[in-house]
Amino acid sequence: MIAAVKGWPAVLAALLFILPRYARSADDPAGAARELARRTAAFAGRGAPVAVAWRNAASLDSTAAGQARAAFETALEEAGVRVSGIAPAVEVEITLSENQSQYLMVEESRKGEERQVWIASWKRGAPPAAPAEGVALEKKLVWEQDEAILDVASSEAGLLVLSPARVALYTQVNGKWEASKSIALTPAKTVPRDPRGRLRINGKSFQAFLPGVACSGSTEPALEMECRAADEPWVLESGSRAMLLGNFAAARNYFDGRVTTQSGVRKTVPPFFSAASVEDQGRTWWVLAQVDGRSQIFDAAWQPAGLAAQWGSDIAGMDARCGGGQVLATRPADGGEPDALQAFAVSNQVATATTGAVDFPGPVTALWPSGGTSVLAVARDLRTGRYAAYLVTVVCGR
Amino acid sequence: MVAGAATRPHYGGTLRVEMREAFETPEAMSPPAGFVLAAWEAGKRAVYTADENAAGGRPYLDSIEIQMGRPLSDQSTDLELGKADVVELGPNELRRQIAARKVWSSSPVRLMVLVFGPRVEDARVREALALAVDRGAIHSVLLQRQGEISGALLPQWLSGDAFLFTPAFDGARARSLVAALAAPARTISLAVSDASLRPIADRIALNARDAGLVVPVTAQRGTADVRLVEVRTASSDPAGALAETAAELGLAEPARADTPEALYNAERALLDGFRVIPLFHLPLVFGAGPRVRGGPGITRLGEWHFENLWVEGRP
Repeated sequence: MIAAVKGWPAVLAALLFILPRYARSADDPAGAARELARRTAAFAGRGAPVAVAWRNAASLDSTAAGQARAAFETALEEAGVRVSGIAPAVEVEITLSENQSQYLMVEESRKGEERQVWIASWKRGAPPAAPAEGVALEKKLVWEQDEAILDVASSEAGLLVLSPARVALYTQVNGKWEASKSIALTPAKTVPRDPRGRLRINGKSFQAFLPGVACSGSTEPALEMECRAADEPWVLESGSRAMLLGNFAAARNYFDGRVTTQSGVRKTVPPFFSAASVEDQGRTWWVLAQVDGRSQIFDAAWQPAGLAAQWGSDIAGMDARCGGGQVLATRPADGGEPDALQAFAVSNQVATATTGAVDFPGPVTALWPSGGTSVLAVARDLRTGRYAAYLVTVVCGR
Repeated sequence: MVAGAATRPHYGGTLRVEMREAFETPEAMSPPAGFVLAAWEAGKRAVYTADENAAGGRPYLDSIEIQMGRPLSDQSTDLELGKADVVELGPNELRRQIAARKVWSSSPVRLMVLVFGPRVEDARVREALALAVDRGAIHSVLLQRQGEISGALLPQWLSGDAFLFTPAFDGARARSLVAALAAPARTISLAVSDASLRPIADRIALNARDAGLVVPVTAQRGTADVRLVEVRTASSDPAGALAETAAELGLAEPARADTPEALYNAERALLDGFRVIPLFHLPLVFGAGPRVRGGPGITRLGEWHFENLWVEGRP
């Protein structure tokens, strides 16, 4: 045992000679630290005191930096080098740095007039996701992926996710979601830069609406779907009762203003991004988030009846146990900023906030009613670039 | 109630852009992605229109109108008066407080560097000038603390090791080097062809004089001993960027660099002998008017990224 311990530095020294001239990327900070420690040991010589100074110029947290430092010092001691600031034979300055793809551990070693620079590196991981929070509105993460999410719907077979390029079905196996099947969409035209799409589930069958494309399919016994170029109106629901048909402008990101009411009456209103209905004093009102930036309230005859609060482009109607119909609205911010949702009640053509805002880590890119009492909100995380779909409900009594 | 609260992008409109450079041919200018050239007036004006079949979808804007050859101060005034939507900003323009102006800044992608010609054979002259330049004063006063002082060819964000090339300002050592030179060798001409860099060149000449060098500043590039130039980093790959920078500066092709350490050694080799003296790494800075949405309209490398912009209301 003792012989083995004594022999280890010799083996290490021998290994140092057969190391490649330039170090390869390590797997993690500890690996990089060990790599530099080996080279430091060879430079200093066995038993030599080495003074080590550290500087963290990277975005690494103190825990990761501390782990790297501990790994370096342990590896040095294992190689028979003493870490000491008293009369050091070698002075070492280690800087934790970074570039776009890697963290760097940069060592500058000085022994008398001799100076050496060694650099070890390891790959950067994705930054951590932002924590979720909610106050009066409650949001629950439903799905997350790199690709844009246009809509998510829950079916008997699993979770159906609509993306600009595909529809995918995910099923739960042992408590984990697994991809069951994915079908590529074949849109008639180029997908718009701000793509939008809508899923409607009815038992085992579903419809998918995209600009200039209509698809129908089923989730059981296996995912199947057929798409065709079509200018069919999209079904716009609000809460559990109200419904509107709206024509989506192909190759754009808005409805062109041609709408058909539940009673079959056709109307033309200003182009709009989204629509929500509210019940007030026994009458149904519609609110349209118009392309011109205004949120216009319309009466049952589709005559303008006032302007709602200054909202963002996406609104959705839902039923809540408290306060009746609610409109959930994004905030009027630049599309490149973190967004928020807030619930409003409309009474006497005046919108009043009924909840505090629930924040999202980026712009809300899709907002659709989901099952009458909740809405599905998709947000693009500005830090990670990933898309996350949340189910948002109004929680009463808070 | 104020209109214009929509957060989804709007289609339509023209983005009015101004730039200092004046290109004679369309090929010399990188076209904005997602747009196609519709009109060209050499050195004056270019119009690009949205490509209906652009990758990622048709841009929101209908068109982009670019005015070339506009001085920075005029650009800033046009932005303030609402005559332009996107302009370039220099240090002086950044100092001006303009309401509702958005500032887009790239990573430091412009390297300001002194490049010696082959006539200056004595390395002591080159080292003396390197030691004489007070980068800190130039950075604080003339550059308004934009970017980073550097002695490296690659910026820190790209290589991660630029701090290892910390430049030295050592007037005493510079004077000692100059004192050992023969009198004719103490005069070196400095060329600066970009008028906006002239104040920096003048300051370098003053620093050099303190060290005992005589440095007349000239706009004639051909006959000068040393040039003050800017080189733009166009690659986000460190090894590729080093190779491009070396080629632009007329340096030898750097050794292949597969690892950060190899890259450091290759860069160190290029800087040995003081043939080039890196001074600063500077960002590209743009100002955008209040009706521009969807920004920033540039990439980290400072390339135009106008396909995701839209404009609110009329100019």
